[in-house]
Amino acid sequence: MKRILIANRGEIAVRIIRACRDMGIEAVAVYSDCDRAARHVRLAGRAVHIGGNPPAESYLRIDRVIDAARRADADAVHPGYGFLAENEEFAAACRDAGLTFIGPTPEAIALMGSKTAARQAAMEAGVPVVPGTEEPLGLDVPDAAIAGLAERIGYPIMIKAVAGGGGKGMRVVSSVAELSGAVRSARSEAQASFGDPAIYLERRILNPRHVEVQLLGDHHGTVIPFVERECSIQRRHQKVIEETPSAAVGDAVRRRLTSDAAAIARSVGYTNAGTMEFLLDGSDHFYFLEMNTRLQVEHPITEMVTGVDLVQWQIRIARGERLTIDPAAAVKPRGHAIECRIYAEDADAGFMPSPGHIAALHVPSGPGIRDDSGAEAGGDVPIFYDPMISKLIAWGDDRPQAIARMRRALREYDVSGIKTTVPFFRWMLDQPDFVDGRFHTGYLDEILRSRAGEPFTPPDDERIEVAVVAAAIQHFLRPNRQNPMNPTNPLNPVKPGSAWRARARSEALRD
Amino acid sequence: MTLYVDVNGRRYAVDVARRNGAFLVSVDGRQREVDVKEVGGVLSLLIGTKSYEISIDGSTVHVEGIPVQVGIGSPRPSWGKAGASPSTALGTSMGAGGPQQISAPMPGKIVKLLVKPGDRVEPRQGLVVVEAMKMENELRARAAGTVAEVRAVEGTTVEAGAILMILE
Repeated sequence: MKRILIANRGEIAVRIIRACRDMGIEAVAVYSDCDRAARHVRLAGRAVHIGGNPPAESYLRIDRVIDAARRADADAVHPGYGFLAENEEFAAACRDAGLTFIGPTPEAIALMGSKTAARQAAMEAGVPVVPGTEEPLGLDVPDAAIAGLAERIGYPIMIKAVAGGGGKGMRVVSSVAELSGAVRSARSEAQASFGDPAIYLERRILNPRHVEVQLLGDHHGTVIPFVERECSIQRRHQKVIEETPSAAVGDAVRRRLTSDAAAIARSVGYTNAGTMEFLLDGSDHFYFLEMNTRLQVEHPITEMVTGVDLVQWQIRIARGERLTIDPAAAVKPRGHAIECRIYAEDADAGFMPSPGHIAALHVPSGPGIRDDSGAEAGGDVPIFYDPMISKLIAWGDDRPQAIARMRRALREYDVSGIKTTVPFFRWMLDQPDFVDGRFHTGYLDEILRSRAGEPFTPPDDERIEVAVVAAAIQHFLRPNRQNPMNPTNPLNPVKPGSAWRARARSEALRD
Repeated sequence: MTLYVDVNGRRYAVDVARRNGAFLVSVDGRQREVDVKEVGGVLSLLIGTKSYEISIDGSTVHVEGIPVQVGIGSPRPSWGKAGASPSTALGTSMGAGGPQQISAPMPGKIVKLLVKPGDRVEPRQGLVVVEAMKMENELRARAAGTVAEVRAVEGTTVEAGAILMILE
């Protein structure tokens, strides 16, 4: 394997290019119109233009990515995550084109990408899943039969629409008395929303944590699971902070969790990197949720506590190498690691996206800090893609040290030109429940709802006074400055941008 | 000349003078000497023995990474009534009164209108949902008012800066 095409952009493309360089492999970047000058294009040894700005015209175009691999004479493709990473047609197209796909087989992607098939595989491997009904419950199923099923699953239960999504047709039922009314309203809502009144029942896990197990599988039958990651700090079902190990998982649970995850992977002959996601309740019961058949955003925290380079191993596995990682060391974390996903969003304005030109960027470093970023000063955050610009990772001997280092790093992190979620993370890391490790998947949304819209990091009197002094001195040096965004001011790092960018910035000040 | 600097709706009277390469800055009559150096886009301020790192981004002054919204007002407060005034652009208490134009912060698609002409709205009430960067974003009212005009149409795409709605 001499040349790998990376079918992605942004920070993950940069991360994979670095792994390639570490291994003496040439990296090929692909780019859309607006990414011509992006960091991943400049870091790569070769780069191929694959189309227009909307992902459907470039990063999601299987034909163009395969064609780019041919033109650059690549022999393998790494999909990163997002875009085509879990698309079995893409994995198959790579195989058909004689390219090594650095990931699982198209068959494994198809199988484990189906929630019901993955759930079936877990059950066959003897791994607990959230108890629920296996078959859709149509209008022909009488209430008495549903009550019997609910009794067997155990209350509280969730009623969900088979065709559902977005909370539509979803009801929580805590006793049999509420059941038939909830079934009726869930069915009519499902019918109205999706044209299908079929529902199913599932046990409701109260205040669960989201824990997951990273694993690697080679082509010689070896599967190695890694110490769990805790990803319960979520905003609207999107992870925002991940850490490892989980404060809620002890040695006994870790042994069962990791061996169960590996058992599912072995039972389907899974190869390359993947992650099994579980819900963990308050009494050490865990339930398989789903599998991600790719590298994950939060992979660096596993790397920090195990010393394993997961991306390099993805490449080595794809080359046919045998896993030589010590399985015992993989589940024994060295210290603690935390990741904050830094988004180009204005947290004080309801997490409104804040694309645009990055005027200045000062990235933290120092003991225990890693910044996996695709952003740089002078670069742009385009409006077309995911607004995550960087992943900030802190490692410490233990959780308190990791948190302290993350706080220090967030304090040094300074971005101008766009808004980022850094101020939100500074607030988040000071929340007593977070510091104590007391949270569940609904925790962040709950505390965000209880806020009245006050800024996450309100300045104290001292900082306000210093800001007044700084603004006055700047004005003193450039008294003709009518517009605070005047680009001619040498002390003002904001560069001239297009009208809409200036507009986006001034609008972003509104809450 | 006295400058007026607005933060969080409060106005500070500031005088700045040079002295021996440093600055003498008085805020509401309290004077201090400030040593300023610019280093790669950030400002280092020494006030007495205290050291502050500052970056200025439009009307946001970051003090040790904490953003502070700042408006420079003129000595004559009436100047601040015009829409172009940095003070009113801050959208703090200074922004109350007068029509509010709600415009698209970025190109996107109008997903849902949450109000109609004639509706009374409260501060921070959601007005219109715009989809951009794979996410739905709710634009909210800065201050209380009445919906005077709705220009946005559900399902259509809009350019950045397009006026979606006017409140009075």
